[in-house]
Amino acid sequence: MIPRHFQITVALVLLAILVSGVVIIRITHKEEALTQQGAELAPVAPVVGGKQEQIQVLIAYDDDQALRWRTAEVFLPTDRSLRARETLRSVLSQYVQTPSPHPLTKGADIKDVYFINQDTMVVDTTSQFADGHPSGILLEELTLISLIETLTANVPGINKVKFLVDGKERETLAGHADLMSFYQTTAVHEMAKEFE
Amino acid sequence: MRWNKPVLALAIIVFYCAMPISGATRGQQLTVYTAQTSYSLPVFDRGGKPYISITELLSPLGASLPQLKSKEWKLELNRAELRLTEDKDKAIIRGHQVDLSGKVLVEEGRVLVPLDASLALLSRLLNTTVDFHRPSRRIFVGNTLVRFHAEFMNQDQPSLVLNFSQPVKPETNHAQDRTTLVFRKEPLVGSAGEAHKQQFGDGAIQSLTYSEDNGTALLTITGNTVLEITRSEDGKTITLQAEKPVETATPESTPESTPTAEGQRHTPEFFVMIDPSHGGYDKGASLGGKVMEKDITLRLARELHKELEERGIASRLLRDGDIELGLERRAEITNEQHAGIYVALHAGPTGKGVRVYASLLADAQQPAAGRFQPWESAQSGALSRSQTAAQAVANELRKKGLTVASLGMPLRPLNNIVSPAIAVELAPDGENVESLENQKRQNTVAAAIASGIAQVRSQMGGRP
Repeated sequence: MIPRHFQITVALVLLAILVSGVVIIRITHKEEALTQQGAELAPVAPVVGGKQEQIQVLIAYDDDQALRWRTAEVFLPTDRSLRARETLRSVLSQYVQTPSPHPLTKGADIKDVYFINQDTMVVDTTSQFADGHPSGILLEELTLISLIETLTANVPGINKVKFLVDGKERETLAGHADLMSFYQTTAVHEMAKEFE
Repeated sequence: MRWNKPVLALAIIVFYCAMPISGATRGQQLTVYTAQTSYSLPVFDRGGKPYISITELLSPLGASLPQLKSKEWKLELNRAELRLTEDKDKAIIRGHQVDLSGKVLVEEGRVLVPLDASLALLSRLLNTTVDFHRPSRRIFVGNTLVRFHAEFMNQDQPSLVLNFSQPVKPETNHAQDRTTLVFRKEPLVGSAGEAHKQQFGDGAIQSLTYSEDNGTALLTITGNTVLEITRSEDGKTITLQAEKPVETATPESTPESTPTAEGQRHTPEFFVMIDPSHGGYDKGASLGGKVMEKDITLRLARELHKELEERGIASRLLRDGDIELGLERRAEITNEQHAGIYVALHAGPTGKGVRVYASLLADAQQPAAGRFQPWESAQSGALSRSQTAAQAVANELRKKGLTVASLGMPLRPLNNIVSPAIAVELAPDGENVESLENQKRQNTVAAAIASGIAQVRSQMGGRP
């Protein structure tokens, strides 16, 4: 006959093992979720080396409906594609910070850029860039103009730019600005003058 | 255990295959058209509300089978997770809530959702334009459409030539005075909504009617004789011809020139196509509180329609309710109906006053010399007239004391429209976003747009 106090002790030990197991599983799930979330918000492209340079970036200011040139310190590699990507990311980094003159969702970033030929470039953005972009003609156009103008100011020789979202074509940025066509940088330059 | 999941999945598949369509409203079906496939699924009546099986809706698109986890049914499609809970009227897709317009039902392991939810679910999961012809229960995913053009020839043996944009293979039903072509698999669409009719006279071929019903499209040709049907050009052309000359066909009954089935004969006059942007699931910009851009644009559109009518200018609304309409579809309808001018209405939370836009062709091209225009630069032939119209509207708005900016922007769908096209964006009056809802301000803006269009009406040219 097993003593009653021994039975109770064993039952309590088993219960404690069960409870701690459940707690461990929940903590593990929570950690996994946090890791995944963190991974989504982390920069999608690796940090690149290069020389720190001062570049001119065209920043959108929603309150004034204006675009203004500002100076930014950026590590710029010599490779043309990487240089283009880092230039564009320097603009978006201004928008995702708090406070921001033109707020964009965290995670809005440039995944990669591709030169189709010497003067035509395709920019692949993260899904957060478009999914979380505020909707409105002006807000969307200001984003695109500031990106394209900054790009052409720092990476010469680009005449056409097209945007992808997570590797795919999308009709509009957030319901208004055209993402299907190639943007002529000269036409964008004329548009930018309206807001400078 | 390892074999549990495959066995469960197999059991569910066997269950679905073996299960009778209990409770299905007799013969009612929904048809989904995609670029890769077309399929139909039964519609069930549950408490007077049409329901469909989520598995039958999404499996042909590559979705996983629904798995029950912690009271939630989960499945994956296009790298997006869909979560449904029994008796709840909301789904979760990519972490966002989606209204289902009714509760989720679970019957013997089968998950049913309201038919009306299919549009929102497909749009969200596939991240593409989805058009839902609700009365006829037809869903078009992406730009998957087959169009047709009809040419009536009133010769000794009257004939009707139907040209389709893609090969078609309809079923044919003959009755005494009519021939019906039934399109079950082809995403055939008409230009003037879900039904329209073209009259040819009172002879062997009298009329052509396009209609949609129960997940199918129908072309019905009436006449006073039996018609021979021939398919040619790999199914892209169908010719219907009277077997012998019919005496009752008279020259008086013949239309002045070759008509088309796209309703061109019914729309000879100049009219303004008013586009209240967004609608349905696409709410547009959030304008503070519960105010959505789609609601403001619809109210402004109705007001503009009234103002134009008062000035003797005909106008049509691209949507007159809270429905979803893709940007390409908006351009297609405008082009097919040969609008005199297209006016898109928007409302934005930023800036102040009103902004008037004409297209800025991103990839400027010369207008094509032939009949066909490149889709991305269809606007190029009308760009100067669009700029004239935008300027006239901007001037009228300024006369009303409003702050106005006139700009060129690469906006969808302006670039895809053949006729002059402008967009007008209403911004708040100063800091007050609620001013967008101000009826008096909306009336003022609508009146100014109508006056501007009336001024340049004669410069807009003929119908494209």
